[in-house]
Amino acid sequence: MASWPEHPRLIGTRIPRVDGMAKASGRAKYPSDVRPEGMLFGVMLYSPHAHAKITSIDTTAAEKMPGVKAVEVIAKAGATLRYQGDDIAAVAAETEEQARDAIAAIKVVYEVLPHVVTEAASMADGAPKIVNTGNVRKGRAITKGNVNDAFKKADATIEGTYSAPVITHVCLETHGLTAKWDDKDHITAYASTQAVGPTAAELAGTFNIPFTNVTVLTEVMGGGFGSKFGADLWGRTAAQLAQKAGAPVKMFLDRVQEHLAAGNRPSASGTVKMGATKDGRLVAMEAHTHGTGGVRGGAGFPLPYVYDVPAASRTHDDVMVNCGGARAMRAPGHPQGCILMEAAMDDLAEKLGMDPIDFRIKNLAPNDFHTPIYLGELAIGAEAIGWKENRKPRGQGGKGPIKKGFGVALHQWGGGGTQDKQVTCIINPDGSVELKSGTQDIGTGARTILAVIAAEILGLEVGQIKSNIGNSTFPTGQPSGGSTTSPSMAPPCYSAVTAARDALFAKVAPALGVQPADLDVKGGKVLVKGEPKLTWAEACRKLGTMPISELGKFQPGLASGGVGGCQFAEVEVDVETGVVRVKKIVAVQDSGLILDLLTWESQVYGGVIGGLNYGLFEERIMDPTTGVMLNADMEMYKLAGASDIPEIIVKAYDPPEQKARGVIGVGEPPTISTAAAIGNAVSNAIGVRVPVWPMSPRNVLNALAAAATEGKA
Amino acid sequence: MADLDTKPRPGASRRDFLRGSGLAAASAVISGPARAALDEAAAEAREAQDAVPVLSGQVKITLKVNGQERHTTVEPRSTLLDTLRHRLDVTGPKRVCDRGSCGACTTLVDGAPVYSCTTLAVSCQGKTIETLESFDTGPEGVPHAFHQNDGLMCGYCTPGFVTACKALLDRNPHPTLEEVKQGLNGNICRCGTYVGVLKAALAAAKSMKGA
Repeated sequence: MASWPEHPRLIGTRIPRVDGMAKASGRAKYPSDVRPEGMLFGVMLYSPHAHAKITSIDTTAAEKMPGVKAVEVIAKAGATLRYQGDDIAAVAAETEEQARDAIAAIKVVYEVLPHVVTEAASMADGAPKIVNTGNVRKGRAITKGNVNDAFKKADATIEGTYSAPVITHVCLETHGLTAKWDDKDHITAYASTQAVGPTAAELAGTFNIPFTNVTVLTEVMGGGFGSKFGADLWGRTAAQLAQKAGAPVKMFLDRVQEHLAAGNRPSASGTVKMGATKDGRLVAMEAHTHGTGGVRGGAGFPLPYVYDVPAASRTHDDVMVNCGGARAMRAPGHPQGCILMEAAMDDLAEKLGMDPIDFRIKNLAPNDFHTPIYLGELAIGAEAIGWKENRKPRGQGGKGPIKKGFGVALHQWGGGGTQDKQVTCIINPDGSVELKSGTQDIGTGARTILAVIAAEILGLEVGQIKSNIGNSTFPTGQPSGGSTTSPSMAPPCYSAVTAARDALFAKVAPALGVQPADLDVKGGKVLVKGEPKLTWAEACRKLGTMPISELGKFQPGLASGGVGGCQFAEVEVDVETGVVRVKKIVAVQDSGLILDLLTWESQVYGGVIGGLNYGLFEERIMDPTTGVMLNADMEMYKLAGASDIPEIIVKAYDPPEQKARGVIGVGEPPTISTAAAIGNAVSNAIGVRVPVWPMSPRNVLNALAAAATEGKA
Repeated sequence: MADLDTKPRPGASRRDFLRGSGLAAASAVISGPARAALDEAAAEAREAQDAVPVLSGQVKITLKVNGQERHTTVEPRSTLLDTLRHRLDVTGPKRVCDRGSCGACTTLVDGAPVYSCTTLAVSCQGKTIETLESFDTGPEGVPHAFHQNDGLMCGYCTPGFVTACKALLDRNPHPTLEEVKQGLNGNICRCGTYVGVLKAALAAAKSMKGA
């Protein structure tokens, strides 16, 4: 079993990312920035209707427009368009302005069909059937234990209906790529992707050329969050247009189509009935849930979540609507499951008159490895938010119109890496060091952690390592998804660098008249039995003309998976306007051995802010009448700005036994429980449950009004 | 701040607006001081007719970008952002929302931050255009502070934040945290890098002061 250095010099410290200055100075070239010689601009034509059939499509006029070099029809006469934003055609022209004009000149006659764009409309009696198999795809009911009997043991039972909306990824760099045919069967694509290898495979398959003829380059990219794992129809179309026109084509979606068609996080709604004994032990849960992932389904989520429920039954329906299809989004399914579970947990704790933390602790599974982690984290988080001193029982948030409240929620994530990825480490005779792998950095710091590992093992500074990734022709690397990149890439990086170092020692030792085992590296020097003898450059010069190149593979003992975390929120709610201000969030997260504390913290801050957006602001708003999205932009689609950011306290839960687990990814876990914690804090503040996320003024005021009608507030 | 407000801004002038709106023609039915003012505006407009040519088709323009005279051909509708990115390979400013709500395209025009996605290139002739590629990358510069404080993740919003931050510090070298937040409220980040961004802005202010 391999192991990480016991007393690392760099690992676990705060190291600025190696490509940070390129990004901060505007010099980094994103896939949407490159402009190969003679490049044309591609523009998509997409459906203005939620549901329509193409009666006819005529591109004659468009083809004759100035500057137009290629036109590609995707949806021919007779084709069905299943959502606003569905692809119809594409144009490549010398300027983007010309391409847009040509798009406008394509004559399409539509037969508009009846649509449903909300779950209510889709499930209603007599709704137009938009999928042959029916609008509602019933999931298999999952039952554990005898739920009816178990409920009889409950001293307190709650039944709540909770929901979270569809949100979109809003990648700042839209989906797309720049395609350049190097000759008739070799293509280079500058792609904004989370997976250079699979993107290359998709292009190779599309054009029936060998994988080796495709080069996908992603030096840097502007955000994916789970939605960018391939070339996509738009990338394939760019390559087709480039082939037709005999010139490179850049194709990146406009902001509207990005919202409509490039993925979203499915909604989640459901009725949760849950019971517990008076000492706070859960006995049973019954949940009926549904959600929509658009025209394709995929709206499943875990429930029960985190807690040990002895008897549970669950049904789940996927509801089809005429909206773009869901894609994985930062911890797919978990934020939804967390909202429904944690809202019900809080409501049941309230009914039992128990402290929400005590109630949660009572219901952690005794033999689950997460449990001691949660216990440690809850203690740290409760202390940091001042739970004991500051939190009041629900509805005692203060006398004036501004009510203060506190909430908590727990989450978990599998993560863990693959065991088949590779990294090459090259040590050149001039002393330069290069790492090569076909993984990519989507903003997480993947490039930097590889350099940190190499610098640690070789006794060099991080800046001396060239971390060369984002190229599909390099040794196979991990796609950036599921928080798997670090645990997949760190072990082969360790192996490659260690092997390269040992190969260098084998070359240098005879020249020094010692055994390789006598050598070590430290502070840019090669040491013989602990004494500095050569500089790194002098040692490498002994390689002559032959660089060292070692391919590293997985080794056990360096990485792991499976994390739990908890988050606390402090909010102020104005019960007159319904405006929620988050004052403070505490996030306590384990993730094994932290390689770079600076980028690790950024990941956790980013996850929390993503969760804050989900908790307070974001929702895709569909117009049931016209079938179009009303906020396919960045002003009415609300995202936090600088003034919306509360005090955020990030705590790494990394006692020695956690560090000993090795590297675990952290991209996803810290975004899961924020929205649930905020919702719980809001209900603690105002004394009533706001059952509909986000905690927008409308949803808060509606909950207060409903409670007033029922005489509760 | 007051300084900035008196500078001419890119975009339509009062004169262009009156001409375009047809208000001048309506002056016949208005009397008194309003009429006198409109008459004056109409006279100015007639005078301007010759001075401001109506642009259409392909227009040759010269832009002063990061200290260099750059010649290119645009259409009157071409935005400053698209001209920089698509024609001049100045790709620091990014296109994200393309309608003046996210700030990723922020560029300095005569020292003032503008959303270059909603600024026409033809309106920027004769003005000084600065993108972040021209900023000091040394230890006292804004980019350095962003790098050191990890005020970026994917980095696509970063050019806008760096430029907005530079513009803020140019006019207010000693901002409080609240003022930094206000100064950066026109920019949106999706990765959630705000904590690093705010630290970076305060650090940049400090190092510019030489503190």
